[in-house]
Amino acid sequence: MRKYLGLFKISFQQEFVYRLNFIMWRVRNVLQILVAYFLWTTLFIGGGKIFGYDKNQILTYIFGVLIVRALVLSSRAIDVAGDINSGDLTLSLLKPINFFKYWLTRDFSTKALNLFFAFFETLFLVLVLKVPFFFQTNFSFLLPFSFSLVLAILIFFFLVLLIDMVTFWAPEMQWAGQFIFLAIITEFLSGAIFPLDILPQALQKVIYFLPFPYLIFFPVQIYLGKLALVNTLGGIMVEGFWVITLSLIVNFIWKKGLLRYEAVGR
Amino acid sequence: MKTLKKYFKVWWLMSKNSFMSVIYLGMGGIFFILGKVLRFLFFIFFLVFLLKGTKNLAGYDLNQTLFFFLTFNLVDVTSQFFFREVYRFRSRVVNGDFDLVLAKPINALFRSLLGGADLLDLVTLPPLIIAVVWFGKVLNPNTWQVISYLFLIINGLIVAASFHIAVLALGIITLEIDNTIMIFRDVSSLGRFPVDIYKEPLRGTLTYLIPVGIMVTFPAKALMGLLSPWGIFSSFVAGAVFLVLALKFWNYALTKYSSASS
Repeated sequence: MRKYLGLFKISFQQEFVYRLNFIMWRVRNVLQILVAYFLWTTLFIGGGKIFGYDKNQILTYIFGVLIVRALVLSSRAIDVAGDINSGDLTLSLLKPINFFKYWLTRDFSTKALNLFFAFFETLFLVLVLKVPFFFQTNFSFLLPFSFSLVLAILIFFFLVLLIDMVTFWAPEMQWAGQFIFLAIITEFLSGAIFPLDILPQALQKVIYFLPFPYLIFFPVQIYLGKLALVNTLGGIMVEGFWVITLSLIVNFIWKKGLLRYEAVGR
Repeated sequence: MKTLKKYFKVWWLMSKNSFMSVIYLGMGGIFFILGKVLRFLFFIFFLVFLLKGTKNLAGYDLNQTLFFFLTFNLVDVTSQFFFREVYRFRSRVVNGDFDLVLAKPINALFRSLLGGADLLDLVTLPPLIIAVVWFGKVLNPNTWQVISYLFLIINGLIVAASFHIAVLALGIITLEIDNTIMIFRDVSSLGRFPVDIYKEPLRGTLTYLIPVGIMVTFPAKALMGLLSPWGIFSSFVAGAVFLVLALKFWNYALTKYSSASS
């Protein structure tokens, strides 16, 4: 455990090496939230409810996304694809440390930093824009919310690794794979851009068969108290299913990929 | 005229080289295009579902809102197609290769701004133009509105070019490009929706200071007949002012180039 704690500290310090990069990344996140904020406040000028949300709930959703995405969608494991391509993966394989735990620890360090900044960004924006943020105080929502976040983090971790490992077979897919699956599909189908329940029921049903809605949309829905207990428990079970399934697939692909790995450049 | 022909020939050669390097990406390139198309379609779906529920956005109906979005994409994709080389400029300055650009008998700004047209963006342009024409027709514009739209789109591209020139100049002075260009793109993406949805002072800032409004919202409004002649005139003046300022900044930045590492 101590070595992972040490790794966490080192990774945390590494995040400060490219400070400007990190700050710009956060600025970009805030800009995205501002677009969503202005879009939805314009839609609510007439008051009332839209897609079952009132203004407070939708604005809480938007600012909740800022925090949840900082926790779930920030990742260091995206660097694995580059390591496979450059041959740097060899260095990880030689270290007396479990590969998956190594990257999960590094993920936690970047998540901690992103969460820290996201918290203050949200606080700042909520105060400046006078957003009527809905604070959930009911423990029966907060507990499953926290649990669903942990599972969402694991789902995203395995998804990232799965995309990374495509590089074993198709090195030219390093950026393209991450672009299409992580920057486009995950962003839209996770609920990071808009709440998924504005989509038609049939489309929602299809999307719920995928792991993406459980990354952002599902945890935020629990926080907002929009889900009945049975739906919450059902969703958490689906999250558990995805964690187990994806971890098995990643393990399988990892073993196959290592057989293919040529340590190019080493 | 002779100079123009020479520069067009050089641009054509540089673009061909750039296209060949993209073809080398193979499946990666195809997935990039697929990703861009998916992102576009997802946004279209989002707008359609959103406006089916709300009926209008800041007074604009679904067709008008989609047209704003398409116009944003037209300006965004076209400027990325032409100005992709800006994204590669930093390494030239950092490792001193920019010396070689300066030493060539061709304008250094031309080489740095237009030296690497992007095939991946070119592929997405024709369907986008068809969609713009299709949705534009639905709005029933008259000839004057269409002409205004076309000229304001060109003006929008001039503003986009000015910003890319400013980013290059900043790159020479600060060695920072990647984040600046991404911030510019994020700010310009505020133009996905008409700037009318933003509150003051953000709306004014986006209209005149960081002229996303002039780049994207004004052309679309002109086609809908919602832009006054004064609005059209001031857009062209703003475009010219931004270009002159950007060129002055570029010339200033060149005097600060230290030719490091060369």
